[in-house]
Amino acid sequence: MAIPVTIADDSMLSRKTVRKALPPEWDIELTEACNGKEALAAVAAGKADVLFLDLTMPELDGFGVLRELHEHHAKTVVIVISADIQPEARKLVESLGAFRFLHKPLQPDQLRQTLADLGLL
Amino acid sequence: MSTQLDELQRDALQELMNISMGQAANALARLIDAKITLSIPKIVMVSAAEFQQMFVTDHYWFTRQSFLGSVKGEALTLLARAGIETIGGLMDYPLPLDDRSKKELLLELANILAGACLNGFSTQLSLHTKLSMPTMFNAELRQADSFRWVSTLLLEVEFQLEGTAFDSRIVICLEGQSVEVLIGKLNELLED
Repeated sequence: MAIPVTIADDSMLSRKTVRKALPPEWDIELTEACNGKEALAAVAAGKADVLFLDLTMPELDGFGVLRELHEHHAKTVVIVISADIQPEARKLVESLGAFRFLHKPLQPDQLRQTLADLGLL
Repeated sequence: MSTQLDELQRDALQELMNISMGQAANALARLIDAKITLSIPKIVMVSAAEFQQMFVTDHYWFTRQSFLGSVKGEALTLLARAGIETIGGLMDYPLPLDDRSKKELLLELANILAGACLNGFSTQLSLHTKLSMPTMFNAELRQADSFRWVSTLLLEVEFQLEGTAFDSRIVICLEGQSVEVLIGKLNELLED
């Protein structure tokens, strides 16, 4: 059965980069979100068993999304894909329960490896 | 020049700048062991007169470096006068900073931030650029014609050092013809 996956990023280019990096054989049902609020709505609607999450977004940023999911013990597997690659950002993201912290620009091989590591492929 | 970026080009450029400034902030954060807050990049077309307005401030020191290659232009770094002692301390400069070490520190910071910004930007677009070493730019002695362009694309990013008064801005100015090259590269990226 197709896995519900959401890409949350305010940049169209970034969403496209993630979309194109997804392994073609991965059976998913894809949703796109332009900000944190839309990302949470996707989770609430059951559209995000896996969430690719940007950190700097309008409305609600990625940290806000993580906090919300963390507080509600959401089962969503969050993979952060961020331009802010400072050690502090990674630490905060990990403390909020994200499974992986990938750097932009996203490398397709790295995304595939991450999905394999997490047993998602 | 009436170059306008459409929505997709602007989005792409903004994202490329985001990634570049992320790399620049990381370079500095690792050096001084502090957290840097990043702003959303600003992309505007400006005239020479509007550009000159940027220097009407006593909030910043300025450095200037030029770059050559498949795109040409200048990188200006604005470094807040407030909080520079804090940065100096974090970077193991003897305090209080004397004029010479202050200048050295400002040039070093400019080179780290502007260097990483331009490098990130060029790499992502497969552009080749070579950046000169920065020099201090005395805004008070500026001439109206001290910059070559009539109008230019200005890419601005802002760094704020958490817990201090220090902030810095990098302004990348592209000459007219280089703007066309940039737009061509953005289109390649978007068509891909």
